[in-house]
Amino acid sequence: MCETCGCGDTSELKIHDRQHSHEHDHDHTHSHDHNHENDHEHSHTHSHDSVLFTHSQDHGAKKVISLNVDILSDNNRLAQVNRKSFEERNILSLNLVSSPGSGKTTILEKTIKALIANRKIFVIEGDQQTLLDADRIEKSGAPAIQINTGSGCHLDAKMVDTAFKKLDVEPNSILFIENVGNLVCPALFDLGEFKRVVVISVTEGDDKPLKYPYMFKSSHLCIINKSDLLPYVDFDVDKTMEYARSLNPKLEFILLSARTGEGMDLWYEWLGKQK
Amino acid sequence: MHEFSLAIEVIDLVQREAEKNLAASIREITIEVGDLSGVEADAFESALELLVKDSILANANINIVRTAGKGKCNACNNEFEMKYRMATCPKCQCFPSEISGGEEFRVVSLVIE
Repeated sequence: MCETCGCGDTSELKIHDRQHSHEHDHDHTHSHDHNHENDHEHSHTHSHDSVLFTHSQDHGAKKVISLNVDILSDNNRLAQVNRKSFEERNILSLNLVSSPGSGKTTILEKTIKALIANRKIFVIEGDQQTLLDADRIEKSGAPAIQINTGSGCHLDAKMVDTAFKKLDVEPNSILFIENVGNLVCPALFDLGEFKRVVVISVTEGDDKPLKYPYMFKSSHLCIINKSDLLPYVDFDVDKTMEYARSLNPKLEFILLSARTGEGMDLWYEWLGKQK
Repeated sequence: MHEFSLAIEVIDLVQREAEKNLAASIREITIEVGDLSGVEADAFESALELLVKDSILANANINIVRTAGKGKCNACNNEFEMKYRMATCPKCQCFPSEISGGEEFRVVSLVIE
């Protein structure tokens, strides 16, 4: 198992269906004791761009299979299925990513309270442990389902598919997927969302986009939260925007404070414009 | 940090290919990891080595081929080796550049028996 974050071990994965109190366990086991010769003698290069072509050559009993298949293709395929499900039901699906403590859950609580009268909102909550965030979301008035990834560090398309079906998300609603707090791993995993929203807060360094380029490159909107604390910290909003734009020129920005409500109207306006 | 889940993806993918091709065992697997793919090649290789024991890859040689990152400067069109995403163009020192290679992360080939 990964010594840093344990990702890949799905034995602890739990999806808590809060309406039907039903738990779902996956049971993958992998043993860890391998002894193989790793002589790196094949360093030939391949220039095939096609992902799905397959051909074989026979060499006696041995056979070489040329695959050139993207290792994330399974996740990407399932993400496409999710995306189609969301689109067919006119569900606005947003994947919220950030480091822990940037205020994703608070933003969602405030958003639910402000918008729930006009549009149904559903939330898929991803955390390593506990039901705390789903409890907070439900208190705000939106149905939520909690995925506990155990020691895993990100949500993937399969987890979202399972949670989406259990949550029974209604057509024409907004589905927020609050990813595990982590600016590294969730960047690689498409969940099928319509747009990805990265949240940073002004108590973090303004050089975050440079340090975690994959996340900022793959997002559509960047929310800079905790703007009420700007007088007390050295965070340079313009510099952050400049760094992030250098990676992703199309990235949009909203500066807000979920705590005081400042700038939240811009976020609601942005949500209203997403079709 | 996600290298373990990616290693599991590889094992699942190879298992399916092995079944499709009626392979008794896999002798060799070649995987390409681009320097700008977001995957740490060393961590991924360690993860794969740990996880293959009870899989069809148990006795396979694992070849990880690393592909260097390549960039093309937006300002002067210079093509250069890009060691990291935020690299400036070595010719005109401009930034940013388009990534033109090194984002690959794929199973290139298998040798089966």
